[in-house]
Amino acid sequence: MPYVIGSECIDTTDMSCVDECPVDCIYEGDRKLYINPKECIDCGACEPVCPVEAISQDRRVTEENEPHIADNRRFFIEPLPGRDAPLGSPGGASKVGKVGVDTELVTDA
Amino acid sequence: MTAPPESSAASLPAGATAGRDVEVDLLVVGAGPAGLYATYYAGFRGLRTAVVDSLPEPGGQVMALYPEKAIYDVAGFPGIKGRDLVANLVAQAARFDPVYVLGERAETLTNEAGTTPRAGDRLVVTTDKGTRVHCGAVVITGGIGTFTPRPLPGGHAWEGRGLTYVVKELAAHTGQDVVIVGGGDSAVDWALALADIATSVTVVHRRKAFRAHAASVADMEAGPTTVVTDAQVSHLEGDDRLHTVHVQHKDGTVTAHPAQSVIAALGFTADIGPLERWGIDIADRKILVDTAMRTTVPGVYSAGDITEYPGKVRLIAVGFGEAATAVNNAATYLDPDQPLFPGHSSDDPAGIGAAAA
Ligand SMILES: Cc1cc2nc3c(=O)[nH]c(=O)nc-3n(C[C@H](O)[C@H](O)[C@H](O)COP(=O)(O)OP(=O)(O)OC[C@H]3O[C@@H](n4cnc5c(N)ncnc54)[C@H](O)[C@@H]3O)c2cc1C
Ligand code: SF4
Ligand code: SF4
Repeated sequence: MPYVIGSECIDTTDMSCVDECPVDCIYEGDRKLYINPKECIDCGACEPVCPVEAISQDRRVTEENEPHIADNRRFFIEPLPGRDAPLGSPGGASKVGKVGVDTELVTDA
Repeated sequence: MTAPPESSAASLPAGATAGRDVEVDLLVVGAGPAGLYATYYAGFRGLRTAVVDSLPEPGGQVMALYPEKAIYDVAGFPGIKGRDLVANLVAQAARFDPVYVLGERAETLTNEAGTTPRAGDRLVVTTDKGTRVHCGAVVITGGIGTFTPRPLPGGHAWEGRGLTYVVKELAAHTGQDVVIVGGGDSAVDWALALADIATSVTVVHRRKAFRAHAASVADMEAGPTTVVTDAQVSHLEGDDRLHTVHVQHKDGTVTAHPAQSVIAALGFTADIGPLERWGIDIADRKILVDTAMRTTVPGVYSAGDITEYPGKVRLIAVGFGEAATAVNNAATYLDPDQPLFPGHSSDDPAGIGAAAA
């Protein structure tokens, strides 16, 4: 039951949440950030700092952000546009840096 | 931060030097809830036990991330504060006087010859401070990994010259101008503790609102501490030692604050780190175990959040059960004449288990 970032983050990406995450599992796409559901320890530290309230627990997301539950996961388990292999669980966003691409759901938003 | 438990004072003399050797039957790696319970259980099985943790105090995630939160799903406790659960676990284990090796990260696992261990070998775990723990078996309760303080950007060169990440001794800041960076409980607690000791205390926090307890924040605001919000440290300046902290405000202006010490309380990040090089099967930073909590290295067991098997649930209650399974299996590994089942603790009026035998 990880936390999930919804559409409000798109083009905001101020990275406040990244500073809070104790396991560094919030990864930067291009126009949005994504939480790795396998690495998230469900601590909730990121939720209150988001200036646009984009973050919520997967059981509590708003109806319009419902597709983002699967989409956060998709960012890691499916190859991103222009890539051969999925990102997987790298064990730390700072090791990976800015990924620079988004999922189709976000690109088409 | 609370003081480490009594027994560490006894077994860890002040100024204990690097390179010391600790001889035990079992080493527990990680003093979170699972590790503390494993420590108790190993004592109950009559094993001399040491427990190592990279944090300066026991408690794992509970103390590092949520000491003040109430926990409602630990068996037998309708509700208990994180801090109190940890204190109880430490008290429960204290009966058997375990050796605490705190503030040290377990780095390597070898046999006495310094090579890859084989079944029956005595094991040596060496820490980053050079302590060598010699033992017959290991239980890894490393949770989500070792916690390290989140670094202050641009601070690296100032470590040991004015920048610290924890307050080891309040008195060390007597008569200093101190800048504390952060908005959580540690930042505010240290500001309160230093208010009467330091010449001045300034707290710099990136946001307007503090995450710390509202009551502590109110105490801090009512006291002599200068509170600077919506601002972050832009750079540190000094000669041999730090003398000025430059703080950038949201509107872009930069102010200079004289300071001989800056304490960065920016929280922790966790990383499994050295355990990945112990020759144990690990997938996605989790240790694969069988139903006896055995890892793929003989004599090395695991329990708690760090283990992985089909159906795994990461909760304190589950970690306790795994810890008991791991230790009881380790006990029969160490001495095949020992039964797997430990006996009932309630059959022993003093509750001191095999240690008394
Ligand atoms: C905000 C929050 C709320 C939670 N609420 C609940 C709840 O209500 N109920 C519940 O059951 N669970 C809860 N959990 C989960 C619970 O905290 C964990 O399941 C539990 O702490 C796991 O215990 P552990 O002993 O396995 O590992 P941890 O608590 O992670 O402890 C592991 C310890 O090992 C140390 N370590 C790791 N590697 C090394 C090394 N190489 N050398 C030295 N030391 C090392 C670390 O420093 C750490 O102290 C919560 C977690 C969070 C973050
Ligand atoms: S809930 Fe905690 S672990 Fe998960 S993304 Fe947020 S800060 Fe990171
Ligand atoms: S804090 Fe909110 S808006 Fe900012 S990057 Fe994180 S999720 Fe996106």
